[in-house]
Amino acid sequence: MKSLFEVISFTIKDMVKRKSFIISNIIILLIIVVGFNVPKFLGADTKNAEEVTVLDNTNIFEGKLDELNNSFKELGYDVVIDKTSKIDEIKNKVQNEEITSAIILTENENGLNFEYVVNGMGLTTSIPTDVINAIQLTYQNMQLSKLGIPEDKLPMLNTGNNIQVVSLSSDESSGNIFIMMILSIVLFYAIYFYAYQVSTAITVEKTSRIIETLVTSTSPKIIVLGKTIGIGIVGIIQTLVLILVAVICAKVFLPGEMLSMILEMTKLSPQIIGIIAIYYLLGYSLYALLYALTGSTVSKPEEVQSANGPVAILAVIGFYLSYFTMMNPTSNLNEIAALVPISSPFCMPFRVMMGLSDTNEIILSIIILVVTILLVAHISIKIYSSAILNYGEKINLKKMFKMYKSKN
Amino acid sequence: MGLKVQNVSKTFGEKIAVDNISFEIDKPGVFGLLGTNGAGKSTTIRMILGILRKDSGNIAWNGKEVERKYVNFGYLPEERGIYPKIKICDQLMYLAKLKGMKKKEAEESMNFWLKRLEVEEYKKMPAEKLSKGNQQKIQFITSVIHNPELLVIDEPFSGLDPINTNLLKNAILELVKKGTYIIMSSHQMASIEEFCTDILILNRGKTILKGNLQEIKEGYKANKLELITKVNVENEIKELGLKIDKKLDNRYDILIDDEEDSQRLLNLLISKNIFVEKLEVKKPSLNDIFIEKVGDK
Repeated sequence: MKSLFEVISFTIKDMVKRKSFIISNIIILLIIVVGFNVPKFLGADTKNAEEVTVLDNTNIFEGKLDELNNSFKELGYDVVIDKTSKIDEIKNKVQNEEITSAIILTENENGLNFEYVVNGMGLTTSIPTDVINAIQLTYQNMQLSKLGIPEDKLPMLNTGNNIQVVSLSSDESSGNIFIMMILSIVLFYAIYFYAYQVSTAITVEKTSRIIETLVTSTSPKIIVLGKTIGIGIVGIIQTLVLILVAVICAKVFLPGEMLSMILEMTKLSPQIIGIIAIYYLLGYSLYALLYALTGSTVSKPEEVQSANGPVAILAVIGFYLSYFTMMNPTSNLNEIAALVPISSPFCMPFRVMMGLSDTNEIILSIIILVVTILLVAHISIKIYSSAILNYGEKINLKKMFKMYKSKN
Repeated sequence: MGLKVQNVSKTFGEKIAVDNISFEIDKPGVFGLLGTNGAGKSTTIRMILGILRKDSGNIAWNGKEVERKYVNFGYLPEERGIYPKIKICDQLMYLAKLKGMKKKEAEESMNFWLKRLEVEEYKKMPAEKLSKGNQQKIQFITSVIHNPELLVIDEPFSGLDPINTNLLKNAILELVKKGTYIIMSSHQMASIEEFCTDILILNRGKTILKGNLQEIKEGYKANKLELITKVNVENEIKELGLKIDKKLDNRYDILIDDEEDSQRLLNLLISKNIFVEKLEVKKPSLNDIFIEKVGDK
């Protein structure tokens, strides 16, 4: 147990002290901070849309201003209705950045005209169409009233396309598939990246020949488990730090509504976070142990890529099985992907988020994954014990099988 | 007490790597394990260290079957290996703690050995910045830092300059004085002759010679004369029916069948008034014995 702790502690220190690790973390943290400020840099601030000045100096909406103001408030806009300024004065105010934008209303024989004034159109600047629609609707109602149509009948003339989707399938998904796919990709990369580090760490020990000294000090099992757990801990801490920074940035830099909208879309709850954490740990353990096995078969650093190839292919198959079936989450194939160990870590958390899996399915999936991990751990440690002392000849599947069957 | 290897064998598939070998080291000292490349030395060492399982036989340390977790052995492998990018002090501490040492005693032992082998200044440097010789000294420290009862050193002097070789030789002698059992594997026969009391020569997994080195050598008759003289004495040598093995400037290596030949040659040279700087009767060296034994097989 003491040896295991020593291997874990050494692995963690070795990883976090590496220059590449420190630099990459700083870069990722900077990207997160900058990323949350991109909307600001691009000039896309929702505040602009909220503060719109509407110029009605010809009193088109006389007597209807309260009604208009209420509609704007319902839409989430802070609209200032200006009844006195001249058109040029308003334009000057926009130009001098006293106000961000203005809608100038004029009327002629063809009806109501709109002029939207902004100080240059940015990439993300858009015309506040919902404000314009609200004005147009009020104007339309005013005209219809003038034609003698009673006010209580007006809503009937303005019915939109109220379409309700009725699904006849017993499975019903909720949540935003796009957001979940992005989270699935992030989970895949997190699992894959850290698992790959186990292979690298083991390869370094073998190719630098330090392994011969190590195995006289502790058992191969302790080395494999120590490396896997150590890198896993670094992965968890790094992920938590990145998430924490992202959450702080989101709270500081994003408008409150946008943050709650994103959280609403991801359907994140403590239970879901727990499920994601469980699958992250299990997925990492599975791929890390597979990589420990392939890492131990390498004699020279240049062989790392080809030795790790089969595990990479397995991981990619697992990921795409999960990713593509997610486009049709109620399909049978997606259900299978949530049970197959190579794809379940990327698939099951999102089926849970979409409300498609019940407790039994989750338990079954976790049992399959845990049994597979134990089996892979047994095989990996057995082959690792022989492979680490084997140099020169390339170790193929046949030789691995022989090593597994051998006494040592 | 000590190490007892009895009828140990190991096969890899069809290949017999070690075939029924036995030997014993019953007191502190240096035991020489010799053999050509692929003779089974590394397999034997790995079985002694408990990192490779034997197929049959017994390996016992102080009367107890050897198991990695119960023994306190040190190992300097032939292929040098240290973490290239990690500071020397960090890796030495790691390996010492893996061997069960406490932080304080590991630190004390590390500092003692770094000073003893004159590599103290590299303590905080990554291994890749050190010269090959200094890396080798660090590697030696990894094998002795935990004060092992049995130390296995494979080619300990390869790549070292004469000064560092001497430094390491003295360190090994100090360990022997402290009571450490040492198994040394080397192709440098001079080193083996200098250190080892007992030897075992392996060839293709089989023991071809073992025992006390002095006794082995005494069992061999003198077979050479070393003669140094400024005069050309080729005719005198031929006159006595002797053969010249090698001639280098004023030095003659002469093959003899009997030690009496040396007296006959000396008498002849004196009678001809030839000045002799050196005349020495030579017994076969370990190198000669090794070549004879391994070459025969």
